[in-house]
Amino acid sequence: MWKWIQRQSSPKIFYQTCTNLTPWFFWPFIGFLLVGLYWALIVSPADYQQGDGYRIIFVHVPSAILSMMVYAVMAIAGGIGLIWQIKMAEVVAKVSAPIGAAFTIIALVSGAVWGKPMWGAWWVWDARLTSELILLFLYLAYMSLNNAFDNPKTAAKASSILAIVGLVNLPVIHYSVKWWNTLHQGYSVGTGGLKDPDMQIALALMFVASIFLYALLVVIKAKTEVLIREQNSRWVKDEVSGAIL
Amino acid sequence: MTMVEYFSFLPYGKYAFYVWLAYGVSAITVITLFVSAKRNHKKAIMSLKNKYSRS
Repeated sequence: MWKWIQRQSSPKIFYQTCTNLTPWFFWPFIGFLLVGLYWALIVSPADYQQGDGYRIIFVHVPSAILSMMVYAVMAIAGGIGLIWQIKMAEVVAKVSAPIGAAFTIIALVSGAVWGKPMWGAWWVWDARLTSELILLFLYLAYMSLNNAFDNPKTAAKASSILAIVGLVNLPVIHYSVKWWNTLHQGYSVGTGGLKDPDMQIALALMFVASIFLYALLVVIKAKTEVLIREQNSRWVKDEVSGAIL
Repeated sequence: MTMVEYFSFLPYGKYAFYVWLAYGVSAITVITLFVSAKRNHKKAIMSLKNKYSRS
């Protein structure tokens, strides 16, 4: 296993691994998504307080968890790139940023759409909502900083430091509903969370689908990034000339 | 007639507008991500092909 990971630091092998992994992420994503949607929209009963409006939780909670998980992966991969100078870790960090930003936008929008019928407002300056909005700005700052340099090495260095500093926001988001008296409800997973087994199954399925979606997007985007970075090497020339579009 | 009333014929009645709006926005975001990732990859291959054929 360790040897396999070490071999991935070679761009050519990493590219091949991404190609091989794509169907292994795509089909489970589709499968978990379809069963998850069925469970979320049909099998799960209506909530006793929120009626059918609570069903937004099945996209809101997984995307919110992913928005934080992807940030952690991005910062850790960036850190690995900084410390061990592994270029492929820089690639994973860079391509994760737009995906994480998209998950953050889904979490914010689905939360706003849920807030309107339940709270009577699309947006409030609640600690949970504000810290999640800061997460979106961190992603955007990371992406623009990464694009601001011509040299990919300098770009990765500067943006990785930003990502690592921004890590302090993750515990703030997670504990915001405990530390402050927020309008946002408490945890949906664990004690005090969803009680109905069908709701828990639906949430778990949608969460697993989201992880596969993230992995799928990473392998697709990473391939593009590797091709551009390694465009002067022999194997990229062979790969590109052999590619059928 | 408000949007909420207009869409109340769909499943989930008075919440239909909100539930389907949230699912719709999420679906569009995910599809956009996927399609743009695929398209960027093709674009990169095309531009590299051009670059190599020129040199």
